[in-house]
Amino acid sequence: MKTCNNNIDACTACASCTALCPVAAVVRDFPGPKMAGPAAERFRKAGAPTDAALAYCTNCKNCDITCPSGVPVAALNMRARAEHVKKHGRRLRDWILAHGEHMAKLAMPGQPLTNLGMANPVTRQMLKAIGISGSRPLPRYAPRTFLRQYGKLRQQPFADKVVFFPGCFINYNAPQVGLDLIAVLQANRHQVIVPPGLACCGVPLVTGGYLEEAAAAAKRNLAALADYARQGIPILTACTSCGLMIKQEYGELFGADGAGEVAARTYDAMEFLLELHDRGRLNTAFTPAGGKYLYHAPCHLRAQGIGRPALELLSVLPGVAVTDLDAGCCGIAGSYGFKADRYDISMAIGQELFAKIKAAPADAVLADCGTCRLQIAHGTGAKVLHPISVIRKAYEPEYKL
Amino acid sequence: MTKTQAVIIGGGATGAGILRDLSMRGVKAVLLEQRDLAHGTSSRFHGLLHSGGRYVVKDPESAAECVAENRILRKIAGQCVEDTEGFFVRLPEDDAAFEQQWLAACRALGLPVAPLAPQEAVRLEPNLTPRIAAAYRVPDAAIDGFRLCWQNAAAAARHGGEVLTYTEAIGIERDGGKVTGVTVRDALSGETRTIPCDLVINAAGSWVGKVAALAGADVHVKPDRGTLVAFNHRFTSRIINRLRPPSDGDIFVPHGSVTILGTTSVAADRPDDTAPRSDEVLKLLRIGQELFTNLADYRILRAFAGTRPLYSAAEGRAASRNFAVIDHRAEGIDGLITVVGGKLTTYRLMAEKAADLACERLGIDAPCRTAGEPLVADPAPGLLAMAKKYFPAGGAELAAARLGDAFGAVVRRLEDDPADRALICECELVTLAEIKEIAARATTHGLSDIRRRTRLGMGTCQGAFCGFRSVAAVCDAGLADKGAAELLRDFLEERWSGIRPVLWGKQLREEELLRGIYGASLNIDGAMHDEGI
Repeated sequence: MKTCNNNIDACTACASCTALCPVAAVVRDFPGPKMAGPAAERFRKAGAPTDAALAYCTNCKNCDITCPSGVPVAALNMRARAEHVKKHGRRLRDWILAHGEHMAKLAMPGQPLTNLGMANPVTRQMLKAIGISGSRPLPRYAPRTFLRQYGKLRQQPFADKVVFFPGCFINYNAPQVGLDLIAVLQANRHQVIVPPGLACCGVPLVTGGYLEEAAAAAKRNLAALADYARQGIPILTACTSCGLMIKQEYGELFGADGAGEVAARTYDAMEFLLELHDRGRLNTAFTPAGGKYLYHAPCHLRAQGIGRPALELLSVLPGVAVTDLDAGCCGIAGSYGFKADRYDISMAIGQELFAKIKAAPADAVLADCGTCRLQIAHGTGAKVLHPISVIRKAYEPEYKL
Repeated sequence: MTKTQAVIIGGGATGAGILRDLSMRGVKAVLLEQRDLAHGTSSRFHGLLHSGGRYVVKDPESAAECVAENRILRKIAGQCVEDTEGFFVRLPEDDAAFEQQWLAACRALGLPVAPLAPQEAVRLEPNLTPRIAAAYRVPDAAIDGFRLCWQNAAAAARHGGEVLTYTEAIGIERDGGKVTGVTVRDALSGETRTIPCDLVINAAGSWVGKVAALAGADVHVKPDRGTLVAFNHRFTSRIINRLRPPSDGDIFVPHGSVTILGTTSVAADRPDDTAPRSDEVLKLLRIGQELFTNLADYRILRAFAGTRPLYSAAEGRAASRNFAVIDHRAEGIDGLITVVGGKLTTYRLMAEKAADLACERLGIDAPCRTAGEPLVADPAPGLLAMAKKYFPAGGAELAAARLGDAFGAVVRRLEDDPADRALICECELVTLAEIKEIAARATTHGLSDIRRRTRLGMGTCQGAFCGFRSVAAVCDAGLADKGAAELLRDFLEERWSGIRPVLWGKQLREEELLRGIYGASLNIDGAMHDEGI
């Protein structure tokens, strides 16, 4: 598979990416994706040093979405940033945020205590000292990981199988999303396999500049997924960043072996269900639960180029009204918004979204991405759910797991 | 005009070098250039500062001059030279016996050459074909012709030397057999006048024959056309020469942000036969692909062509690249000296020899000092640190190198007015301050003049965005009597001449965008008025 080495040549310098960059809109010091990416790359190839302003990029990929020429702008920026941090060193804070999976594993055994510990003023002070924002609550760890709960599930066996890649946020922080997905798939006569040996998809490692570690994670995950892909078994994610990583960046950034085969079989959960619906295979025995929802399409969903499948799917539910917020990036960009020196930028980017949510009362806001949900809850106080949870509710009580 | 001692005709590297040389020796001298400095062959070449390796077998004398001048120019023209080093690469189909001949000739000449394992060559330059049979490192470097000319002119100005651009020599006045002056025409206003002088030095490159004819002298120079291709990015960090008898398309030079491939060699009818052709480009690509397998994937920015002033009975590449200094006194024209042939790498030596003869004729006893003193001083560390605040990483150093003496004035503008910090040319990192500073100089008459001194419009967009962004600043500086539309048209026409022969692939998309901006959005050709829209 071709990596992004030569694609800077496709840039026409039109700067559409800069015009639509959520960060450039609120940070004057950020020269924008074109300047930081393809334009600067010409000079980096000529020996120029990397620019410190690269640190502002959130890797939200609105540049990639905008680019009329197919330049992988964000990937260029992530590579350059990796070079930059390699040369100029990293902060402890950035290591911690890039290695959420390690941190979660460390935290798990004494878990209720951990959450208590994270919230106490002394710990907050300590986190603040290393550069983690004190203005934002840290995501809570769930009492039991998704994987632990999955291991105890008794699924009905069906001939149709799907593989589920849970990712760190669902596993450690939001296991209910994974359980809801399994319930919905069971209601649709699919059996869910979560293969052993999966690692973090690598997104936080990439944004933190740890490309070698991310490449190792890619290799490990592809090894765990490749056999299923070869058998034609669909691979599902319910986190849009994990999904984009597997579909696009494993090939784009690392040219990893098997990346193409696995990418071709990987679906966002909503994308997969919508496809079932389009083929007339979706179980539509929904309870008319009703509800009024606002929907936020995460940047990494839009970057997948699959439309807004959740929006279409939810419109099938009886009595459910969903409004697309269409307000761009929420601003959190995974670990970005947790950095003390990025918190204000993160919140400034989310202002339009927050304002729209506050202006339109609803039962809940729906978003397919875990950290988008954190940001929306923090920025608006609204109740925020993954759309799968609404769908699962619509199958109750008949299909209770 | 007041009398001067010497008039030099031709604002290429040699002419500018002679101006500097004579000025440093205390001779009062004026340089005439029909267009802008470096408009001719001094900017229409690879940008290669030869190590000598290319000529070592066929023309060892030229090669020896290159070896010596290469060392000198690294010292005196540091801001024009990028020490990239070079490889000579032999492919399996190239004659192995030539490699041995070449090696022996390099050693005989004292040209430092180090063998390199093929896999090491590919590790250092990963885009090179792995089909390498043999590779050597040589001290080739990249050199910027625009900068070299302007920095020579700036150095000459410090010693009283004067430059008149857009000034054509239309007559060489004589009294009996003795040269008394040069009649010139201002290419912009059309006005003519005579500059009285004791001596005329004809350094007009491919145009020397035309200039000599003004005095009734005969110089047989054969313009030899070479076409080159500029790519959008650097796919090699080093100069790559094909190790075989010099032929078409066998040199790649990384140059600033781009890579240049060349060249062809065809006898030209005229010195200004510089419109490149698609068939020449395709030929270069076909040959170049043998060294860089993915060459066809790389975006071509433009093609350009120049004419080598070959001075010999023989034609084309087989002709000696050596130069000659001709004293026309032998033909009964006292006070006319012609310097012809040579190559950019040896421009300083050519200038020295021409200036030696000029001084002899003028009765001035002063040694040449051009090999010791730098053209321009390195920017003060404080100045560079100040500039770094306003440029993306690496941009301040690039601006310092291209601006030479003008860098200080640009940094002051950046300090004084925050609005001047805007990057107008985002592809080559040129700020508004730089454009305003160069626009205000007496030698600047259009956007292309600014381009040659700043690299405005020489990057990815080829003027699509920086053109309309810079034109306002240029109009404010009161450039010529031209309006914005005419300035833009001139600038874009000039860019178009190099894009037209490579109008395919990614560059075609860029050109369509440019056409949309200038034709539709800005209605620059007035077509919308004509159609009553």
